[in-house]
Amino acid sequence: MSFEKLIRIPEDRIGVLIGKSGQTKSKIEQTCYVKLEINSDTGEILISGLGKIADIQPFKAMEIVMAIGRGFSPETAMRLLKGENALHVIDLREFVGKSSAQVERIKGRIIGEGGKARTNMENLSGTKITVYGRTVAIIGSPTQLKLAVNAISSLSDGSMHGSVYNKLETARRKDKLEKLRLWENQDVF
Amino acid sequence: MSELELEAEAIKAEKIEEIKAEAEKIKAEMQAGRKGEEKEKIKTEQKKQPKEETLEKAKEKWGIAHIFSSYNNTIVHLTDLTGAETVALSSGGVHVNADRYESSPFAAMKASNAVVEIAKTKGFTGLHIRVRAVGGVGSRVPGPGAQAAIRALARGGFRIGRIDDVTPIPHDTTRKKGGKRGRRV
Repeated sequence: MSFEKLIRIPEDRIGVLIGKSGQTKSKIEQTCYVKLEINSDTGEILISGLGKIADIQPFKAMEIVMAIGRGFSPETAMRLLKGENALHVIDLREFVGKSSAQVERIKGRIIGEGGKARTNMENLSGTKITVYGRTVAIIGSPTQLKLAVNAISSLSDGSMHGSVYNKLETARRKDKLEKLRLWENQDVF
Repeated sequence: MSELELEAEAIKAEKIEEIKAEAEKIKAEMQAGRKGEEKEKIKTEQKKQPKEETLEKAKEKWGIAHIFSSYNNTIVHLTDLTGAETVALSSGGVHVNADRYESSPFAAMKASNAVVEIAKTKGFTGLHIRVRAVGGVGSRVPGPGAQAAIRALARGGFRIGRIDDVTPIPHDTTRKKGGKRGRRV
C-alpha cells in the first residue's frame, strides 16, 4: 500500500516539472496515481503512492520525474508511459574524466552542428535523446535503447560520426528483417 | 410414569437453558477478547514492525516478494519474512522462448502468476514487495517488468504491505566495465 521515494533534480528543472499553474505535476499525479511533494529550495521530490495497488505506477512516475530532471520536455517524458519505453542516463565523465572542457567537447560531438548528429541518431534508432549538464539521457524501448547507448558511447570514445550512423543503419535493417521473419513462423511466445 | 417423564423433561429444559447461557457467556467473552486483539493489532500496525505483526495475527501469513527487474530479465522471488527461506521463484525467461522477450511485461506477469499459485498453496495471505533495479554502475530505474509483476501479485488476491525500492546505490562508484578505451565491437 505504501510507497515512498525521494529523488533530487536540478533546481532549474523544477519549474518544468511543476508546469504552468501546476499542470504537468497534476498530470503525472493523475496518470500514475501518486502524490508529488516538491521542495523547490533543495530540489527534492518525495513520490508517494495513492490509491489501489493495481492502479499505481510509482516507478513510471519516478522515471518521468527523472527524465524531466535530465532535460526532457514534459511531452517527451510522457512517452515513457507508452509500451515498454524506458529511460537511460549516461554520465559523460565516464569517458573523459573530470575536466569540464573535455565534457563540453564530447557534448558538442553528440549534438553535432545545429543538432544534426543528435536528430540523426534519434531518427535512426527511434529514440529521444537530450544532452543536459554532464549527462546524456535517452528514452526508448529496451532494444532501441541498447543501440542508442552503444552509438553515444562509441561517439564519446572517439569514433567518427559516419561509422556510428552506419552501425545504427545496419542494426535497423537487421531489426526489419527479423520482424518479417516473425510473420513467417508464428511462435512469437 | 407420566409425572416422572414430565419432571425429566423439565430437568432437561433447565439443563439446556443453562448450557445456552454458558454458551452465550463464552461468546461474549470471545468477542471481548477479539476486540482486545484488534486494538493490539491496530497498535502494532501503527508501530510498523512487520515481525511483531505476524506474531499477533496468527492466521495471516506474510512473505516478501523480491522483484529484480533489469532490461534483460525479470526475476520474482518469494521468501518468508526473514528473507532466508525461499518459498517460490520464477523468472521471465522461464515462460518465454525468445531472448528479447524475457524482460517484457507479459513474461513478468507470467512469472508473477506462477509464484502466486505456489504461494496460495502454501497459505500466504499478504506480501511485502521489494523492487530492485540493476543498480551499482548499471541502471537505477526498474525495468519494464516491475510494474506488471507488482500488478499481477496484487491481482492474485494478496494483501500488499510495503513497496520498497531496494536498488543498491553506491556512495562512491566502482569503475564501469569495458576499460579505458570503451567497449570495442
